[in-house]
Amino acid sequence: MHDFAALEGRGVIAAFLASTQFVVAASAQARALGYREVPAVFVPHPIQDRTDSEVRALADAALAEIIAAVTRSGQGRR
Amino acid sequence: MSTERNAAVDLPADGLVAVVKADCPTCRLVEPVLAALPQVTVFTQDDPGFPAGIRDRRDDTALDTSLALEVETVPTLVRFAGGRETGRIVGWLREEWQEFTGVGGLGADLPEYRPGCGSRTLDPDMAEELLVRTRGGSLRSRRLEIAALEDEVEALYDRGFSDGLPVVPPTPARVLRMLDGTSRRPDEVVAVVPPNLVEATVEKVAINAVLAGCRPEYLPVVLAAVEAACTDEFNAHGLLATTWGAGPALCVNGPIRAEIGMNWAGNALGQGNRANSTIGRALQLVIRNVGGGRPQEVDRAALGHPGKLGFCFAEDEEGSPFEPLAQSRGVPAGRSAVTVFAAEGPRGLADQISRTPESLARSLAQGLRSVCHWKLPGGFDASLVLCPEHGRTFREAGWDRARLHRELDELLLLDRAEITRGAGGIAEGVPAGGSARPIPKFRPGGYMIMHAGGGAGMFSAIVGGWAGGPGGSAPVTREVDPWR
Repeated sequence: MHDFAALEGRGVIAAFLASTQFVVAASAQARALGYREVPAVFVPHPIQDRTDSEVRALADAALAEIIAAVTRSGQGRR
Repeated sequence: MSTERNAAVDLPADGLVAVVKADCPTCRLVEPVLAALPQVTVFTQDDPGFPAGIRDRRDDTALDTSLALEVETVPTLVRFAGGRETGRIVGWLREEWQEFTGVGGLGADLPEYRPGCGSRTLDPDMAEELLVRTRGGSLRSRRLEIAALEDEVEALYDRGFSDGLPVVPPTPARVLRMLDGTSRRPDEVVAVVPPNLVEATVEKVAINAVLAGCRPEYLPVVLAAVEAACTDEFNAHGLLATTWGAGPALCVNGPIRAEIGMNWAGNALGQGNRANSTIGRALQLVIRNVGGGRPQEVDRAALGHPGKLGFCFAEDEEGSPFEPLAQSRGVPAGRSAVTVFAAEGPRGLADQISRTPESLARSLAQGLRSVCHWKLPGGFDASLVLCPEHGRTFREAGWDRARLHRELDELLLLDRAEITRGAGGIAEGVPAGGSARPIPKFRPGGYMIMHAGGGAGMFSAIVGGWAGGPGGSAPVTREVDPWR
């Protein structure tokens, strides 16, 4: 989330990407950084034991949502 | 001694000022003497009706004037001229009073000498109130109002300041006393604390040291620990946010260990010593209460361990076969320092048979190899806490720390065939292929060796760490003395 804030601060369009286990952590950190809303995409957990092809499948499945997140008008709102 | 009149209190620009209290036999003794002085302003600390027969008698039961004059003994007689103090005497000595006041024949019927009594400003039961009154203005933190019927400890639980154990309520007086443990200003920034990247001032650290149960003399260690933990190298943010269960641990070196009564002997890594238990806890409370790092929020540990309440111990330097850890990390001899490192809970390693350093080193290497996973090299750091009975074996053989590291490095070269994925029927491991050369278990500098513990028991401890190096966490050492 700090990376998101740093990129946004430099005018780089960004979205937050993590697995579903990190919804609460992302929300807590976003609040602490002053965001009311952050464009975020959560892929199914787990990640660590995925094979390369499974990770690629996760990425493919999330692609549309990621593109939507970075193209939605109004990025992170503080 | 104050030399100028304090603007906050009303003192005469010229003439004599006396400070007394009715509770003092010497003050009562000099009551007629004060009444006989042609001009004196008398401030009374307890009974506004005392002493009798004084034209300009003032109530100082609030002690403002006594504090402004820094009165330590009553009676005190002060002379002002042109708004400045030009002299002062305390107690009763007839000749001295006559000379000081310029009035002959004073107290002719009194004993020649009586010592004074302590000023009410020095009463132990006044200390807390006066401390807050005189220095409370230096504190900048938001004040919490606790209702009269609220239990203070419960209120601190309810407001989220606790790690699960009771905390000591950080009243202004306790925080001010804690701040006496350092010469640094309360508003000085110690570090920027993750995960929320909040500036921790000396005052904020002191508040958390109070919450943790520290004594003021521990504060320099806590400050140095916060400084060390909030560096990019230590990466407290990553250590907090990882799903791995390690937390920050502290090893203290140098004279401050003994000065604050730390334990490096029996049960060194365990409970029962206030400094050990509360210093580590204070660091964790700073990360929680200043940085905002809380379990199940940004602290994502799948399991964690009990030492995340606080993990701090001192190294046994005197009994060690090696130079102190801090010295091996660049701190000059004789200086106090704290080293912060990522730590799981310690796990015992028994070897009660080895009599040679070679055999013992092999046992220790086996223990170190199990960190993270027996088949995984290169990723995780670790620490070895060598017990005195194991240390003896290396001392008698003339092995220094560097020699033990060299031997362990050699023993911790892992055979690729043993650690390839699938080997031993275990899917976990390194990918097949690549060089056939053995792979080091640890990155260079990826494990530390410390010495602590009781004199009996051939049981050292392996303390697993977390991902080492860039992107992970590396141990960081900071000197304590700059924070005194």
